[in-house]
Amino acid sequence: MAFPGIGIAKGMATTFRNFFAPKVTRFYPEQRPEIPDRWRGRLDLIYDPFGEHKCEVCFQCAQVCPVEAIDMSGFDSQGNRIRFGMPEIYDERKDANAYRRAGLPARPMRNPARWDEAVDTPWVDATIDAFNGRPEALVAIFRAVEDRYGYLPEQALRRISERMTIHWAQVFGAAGLGGFRLLPAPGHIVTVCDCAACRFAGGPALLAALEEELGIRAGETTRDGSVSLEVGSDVGAGSISPAIRVDTLVYGPLDAEKARHVVQERRRATAAAGSAR
Amino acid sequence: MDFELLLGIGRFLLATTFLLLLTVPTAFVIIQMELKVIASMNLRVGPNRVGPGGLFQSTIHGFKVLAKEDTVPDQADRGTFTLAPWMVYMAAAMSMLVIPFAPGAIAADFNIGIVYFFAVLGLSVVGLLVAGWASYNKYSLLGGLRSAAQMVSYEIPLTLSIVGAVVLAGTLSFSELIAWQLEHGWLLIWQPIGLGIFYVSSLAEVNRTPFDMVEADSELVAGPFTEYSGMRFGFFFFAEYVALFIMSGILASLFFGGWLAPWPFPAQLGGFVGTLYGLFWFFLKTYLFVFVAVWLRATLPRVRVDQLMGVAWKVLLPLALVNLFITAIAVVVLDLK
Repeated sequence: MAFPGIGIAKGMATTFRNFFAPKVTRFYPEQRPEIPDRWRGRLDLIYDPFGEHKCEVCFQCAQVCPVEAIDMSGFDSQGNRIRFGMPEIYDERKDANAYRRAGLPARPMRNPARWDEAVDTPWVDATIDAFNGRPEALVAIFRAVEDRYGYLPEQALRRISERMTIHWAQVFGAAGLGGFRLLPAPGHIVTVCDCAACRFAGGPALLAALEEELGIRAGETTRDGSVSLEVGSDVGAGSISPAIRVDTLVYGPLDAEKARHVVQERRRATAAAGSAR
Repeated sequence: MDFELLLGIGRFLLATTFLLLLTVPTAFVIIQMELKVIASMNLRVGPNRVGPGGLFQSTIHGFKVLAKEDTVPDQADRGTFTLAPWMVYMAAAMSMLVIPFAPGAIAADFNIGIVYFFAVLGLSVVGLLVAGWASYNKYSLLGGLRSAAQMVSYEIPLTLSIVGAVVLAGTLSFSELIAWQLEHGWLLIWQPIGLGIFYVSSLAEVNRTPFDMVEADSELVAGPFTEYSGMRFGFFFFAEYVALFIMSGILASLFFGGWLAPWPFPAQLGGFVGTLYGLFWFFLKTYLFVFVAVWLRATLPRVRVDQLMGVAWKVLLPLALVNLFITAIAVVVLDLK
């Protein structure tokens, strides 16, 4: 800084060079970043359809976490409070799901009406036997049950757990994580994502295609009550946009043809289940 | 009523209406320039969604402001609160009257154009003070006082830096000053110190970086505009950019030959063609200086308030006086008239 103003001149030169330099902006919805396969985004506890945490306090995540960033506490099958991590930051987990998953008598459900609806136990057994009770067929069995009932009744899950000797917590967890409905619904709810990324990627075209396919407008339900069409920005699938969500399962990226196919399949399955019932 | 008077009134109304309407696209263009140029200097692309290449971003911002809710604080002095944005905007718009766009394209070619210009431009201080006071908010009031302190301080070196040029050219009319420059060369070479003082002061006068403490986007809420919203705020915002345009235009006219081309003005170009030719050079120079102001904003940080005042009173004012004395002595001794 020998000469006054030389700093300003240097700065001006830098900005002027940058004015012509190549830009680093990425045009997001058109130009997607390359996301590594194992990237899982921001970690969060997933909620089940009751709005309760799905965490079963099994400590597996805490045990494998390489940087020991996970703490938790809960109740084991004996009703003892169990903990993992530093004692100062325990949070008491006393919600109904934690009790239920731990095999304890749970408090009344928020929607007890049809949760433990009686199921056709022999049919459930037959379905399981059709797959020879193989544990890897669990999801296929769920799908069969859901096709029949439109959701997974708790009694069916209990029966599957017993019959296949899979721990109840695993059955329930697999059902929830697999995106199966755990509560009866009037029909399938198809949500077309309305987030900015999906809109740019062609969300409106999907909506138009589905409206044409179902013969209803967004916010309406088909005459037979099997499908309701919605628009929502809570699908949360920016990386696979444009996306739609059927009940709790997210599909994407879709084009109009694939979206029609997904919805047709769901309707067909529901209709088949309805006639079987 | 004689015909001459009616013609004069009609001509005046036409010119003022045109200039008032001109301020709006001018502000849009400069805001767009600021968005894009600063983005480029930050290695960004900047707005790119609205219109081709984001061309209508600032325009859409302007219309958005119209649609916004316009709130007035309960305790505010409604009359003056409403009047303040108008005063600031009118100060900017009125000073456009004397800007020499091109030969035959000056709304009012006063023989005291330079005096009128600085007098009218000074009115915006009143608007800012009124805005701060009427808001019934101590932050607004402080912001208003700060801006008044800044603008009043810088008006003195700003005006004094011109006096040298006025003494040299012996006129207070913009068109005559440009005619003088055509004959003797641009004032840039006659008054380099005056140019430097004028440029620094004009940046402070129109609240541009590095002297943008009045609004100080990143630090203060918005200075005297804290309580303003909707189009009222829009007027302040617009006025700032119109003032930047005006200052750049005046800078071009006073020191860079205004509508004159860098080479001798073709004498045969008269009438409409000559006006267009002059307009071309005037806008080229003006937007060049607007670009420099934007470029400065992309580069420099904000100075401190005490530094701001120190520069005005301890550096620019003495320098302007010295420049004036030297010019006056030179004019007398060398008989430059």
